[in-house]
Amino acid sequence: MRQRILGLVGAASIFGLVAGNGQAQNAVCPSPNEVAGFRTCANIAKAEQEGKLVIYSTDVEQGQAKIVAAFSASFPKIKPTYVRALSASLYAKLQSERQAGQYLADLVNVDVVLANDFLKKNGYARYVSPQMAAFRSEFKSKPEGYFTWAQLAVAAIAYNPRLLAADQAPKAWGDILNPKYAGTMNVKSSNSGVQHFVWYTVREVMGKDFWKSLASQKPKAFDSYVQQYDRIVNGEDKIVIGAQYSGYLEFKAKGAPLDFVFPDQGVPASPQVWGVIDKAPNPEAARLFLDWFLSPIGQKVMQEALFLNSPRDDAVPPPGGVAASQHKLLFPSDWDGFLGSKREFNTEWDRITGLR
Amino acid sequence: MQNLAPPASLWRPSGATKIELLASATVALVCVGLIVYPLFFLLAESINVGDPQTFPPKDIGIDNFIDLSLDLTVLLNTAYVAIAATAMAIAAGFVLAWILTRTNVPGKALLERLLEIPFYLTPLVGALAWSILAAPKSGFLNQLLVTVVGVSDLLDIYTPFGIAWVMALFEGTVAFVMISAVMKSMDPSLEESSRVTGAGKLRTLFKITLPLVLPGLLGAIVFVFAEMLGSFAAALVLGLPGRFFVVTTAIWQYTLSYPPEYGKASALGLALFGVMFATLSFYRWMVRRGTFATISGKAFQPRPIDMGRARYGLAAICWLYVFVAVILPIAALLLTSCLRFATVIVDQMSFTLQNYETALTLDAVRSALTNSLELGIGVATVGVFVMAVLVWIIYRSRLPGRGAVEYVVMFPQSVPRMVFGLALLTAWLNIPIPLYGTLWVLAIAYFTVLMPLGVRTLSGVVLQIDKSLEECAQVCGATWAYRMRTITVPLLRPGLVAAWLLIFIASVREIGVSIYLMGPNSKVIAPAIVSSWSSAGTELTAAMAMIQTAAVLLAVLLLLSLTAKYFKGA
Repeated sequence: MRQRILGLVGAASIFGLVAGNGQAQNAVCPSPNEVAGFRTCANIAKAEQEGKLVIYSTDVEQGQAKIVAAFSASFPKIKPTYVRALSASLYAKLQSERQAGQYLADLVNVDVVLANDFLKKNGYARYVSPQMAAFRSEFKSKPEGYFTWAQLAVAAIAYNPRLLAADQAPKAWGDILNPKYAGTMNVKSSNSGVQHFVWYTVREVMGKDFWKSLASQKPKAFDSYVQQYDRIVNGEDKIVIGAQYSGYLEFKAKGAPLDFVFPDQGVPASPQVWGVIDKAPNPEAARLFLDWFLSPIGQKVMQEALFLNSPRDDAVPPPGGVAASQHKLLFPSDWDGFLGSKREFNTEWDRITGLR
Repeated sequence: MQNLAPPASLWRPSGATKIELLASATVALVCVGLIVYPLFFLLAESINVGDPQTFPPKDIGIDNFIDLSLDLTVLLNTAYVAIAATAMAIAAGFVLAWILTRTNVPGKALLERLLEIPFYLTPLVGALAWSILAAPKSGFLNQLLVTVVGVSDLLDIYTPFGIAWVMALFEGTVAFVMISAVMKSMDPSLEESSRVTGAGKLRTLFKITLPLVLPGLLGAIVFVFAEMLGSFAAALVLGLPGRFFVVTTAIWQYTLSYPPEYGKASALGLALFGVMFATLSFYRWMVRRGTFATISGKAFQPRPIDMGRARYGLAAICWLYVFVAVILPIAALLLTSCLRFATVIVDQMSFTLQNYETALTLDAVRSALTNSLELGIGVATVGVFVMAVLVWIIYRSRLPGRGAVEYVVMFPQSVPRMVFGLALLTAWLNIPIPLYGTLWVLAIAYFTVLMPLGVRTLSGVVLQIDKSLEECAQVCGATWAYRMRTITVPLLRPGLVAAWLLIFIASVREIGVSIYLMGPNSKVIAPAIVSSWSSAGTELTAAMAMIQTAAVLLAVLLLLSLTAKYFKGA
């Protein structure tokens, strides 16, 4: 719990979270409209006139497709399209485009490190959604309105009980260094924002050399949780380290043999951050989508499509799972340190996973 | 009546008018520009040691090249799989080509068509299929071996050998095509003489056939080796689980990270370019040398060797190859595409068509497949005619600098596609024309990287047409345009159709360039499958791969049936 509190305090200091965000919100959007069951300050007529919406997202393809389909059902005059990639490559693509003066994307969803970088580069357009009142202050940018944590990827350890009996499975983070698991584990690649978050937060608990010791276990690295779970379901590996809880719920719903471990030391909850992009070609449609996505309706669609946890205060659990508030969540105690650790992580993780 | 005099002026070759020459020179310049422009960006990026996303670079140096020493393992890995894959592809290609061109094996025509199928498949499809078949724990074949012989983990596709195996099966088809072409053009009278003088069939094979095809064979070896050096899909799907990186997958990883390591990726790509350039230069030298050694002007009718009962054994070898390279992978993909989640454990299997339903709701399939087919048709149609003009410039005109044009248009073949894609991304992002993010930029990129393929295919046909036919018409007063319309183009038609087909297929299965240039409104199918593989699960990816394969095969069959008359007698 101390870790969590430290994390939240750290987050508050980084994002400069203060009371009175509601005032800023009111200043920007004094009278939101109720439409399709949620409140928005977007100009709907203008959004429909724009008729398009381009989302750069890290969410898996089939989940993203469900989300945009649900939005389209409410707003059939707006045709959303998306580009899906890992956080780092998506952000690199976005930055390359903006560097060259090409503005194709309206909304972006990246990890928290990249979101802060984008904020520093004035990449976001400010829009204080009326939905933001339902999100804790530490889950938003300072000043409010640039970005919001819209998804939480809770990550810990998963295993296949057909290959590993419960009493043989790791129970705590330290257990994964047991030589008996050598060659049987997989992780995400260094391109993953979730993996960076897991690396940093667990290292704060377990010590600086913890992950370095994992190198001798020869974990294999993959770009997506889907590949990680595919491999333990098929018996190619036995354990997923940094396993996304959402992936576990998704595979479990399909009937895959899986168990999930929540170590007592806590579980990292990596935020996925959304915001409207500055110079977006379809800004009103972007605002409308953001309002819908952050609303209980959009968050429910998101949870059903992706099984991720919603950071909303009033969020219900994802299908088959439990709400994030039920877990002992790990956040960085030193947000500055975390935000500045990307390069160190890339180098260390590439070594651990055999790229270098 | 004009240009009755034989061609004399450098600027008036073959009686072409000034306008025609100007148009040709413009085409040549544009094509050269399309290649040289992105290469400039690639070179600039390789010496950029500052912010990788700043162009032009503010800090320059050679650190990225010095850092290559850190990638020594990656370079050695690349050499290993390229050599192993080339050896397998050439051995299989030679044996199959010999069986199908030099013996009286039954079902020859059908087998030839079936052996070409791997070329229509995206290499990723082959890699994915073999990961389903021969993953050490869960592969279908390993499960079968456990049941039959009680031994587990016998096959492991996630090894360097496994990667080379898949590369040889799905990217080595070109070896079979190239060696077959050489064997078909070989005068069989020498083989017959050998056998008449008492040599056995095997002795004839090794003492006569092999030396005769050796120049062409060496050319094929060098060409296939260069192809394997730049191979990406198999190493991506099968290398990562085994923590095995080659140059192309390392480049991919570098460009995926943030901040992107474009400088390192470019330097690594240029290192690979050096090796590929050397091997392809050697290849061209071999081809030029080999052409005169294997093709005679004498008319001959190839007579296959009567293999007696052994022909059934030889047919079995071909069918085994078809089974391993076509039937088995497609069956594995089909089965996996119908599972709720990919598994080979029978009691876990749950069948559904949901994956096809989901795939067809995804942009990655709906718009991407349509875009890919449109791009394939557009690039092939425009490309064939532009490339035919290029071929005419290179081999029939006397334009100054035509040798240099040939050299430059073949250049993209020497650069790994991933690296060229990176160069194209930087180049087209920084051009003040809003093409990036549209299908146009993909069309231009495809045209650029497929120029060597089109020019090589068409040049083979152009060189077979005797210049004297055009010269006769010229002497009779026909203008350049009239000669092109009535003589050159009709003679070229089978070659043009073949080139169209090759460019179409190569466009639809293109990954390396598309992966960087694809935008929200310009998705194409091959990178969409890569993306699905990395994020959406094997079963959905298998469904997407099946849809793509079916679409390409249907398109090819449709085209072949429409153009069958042009192939007759070709």
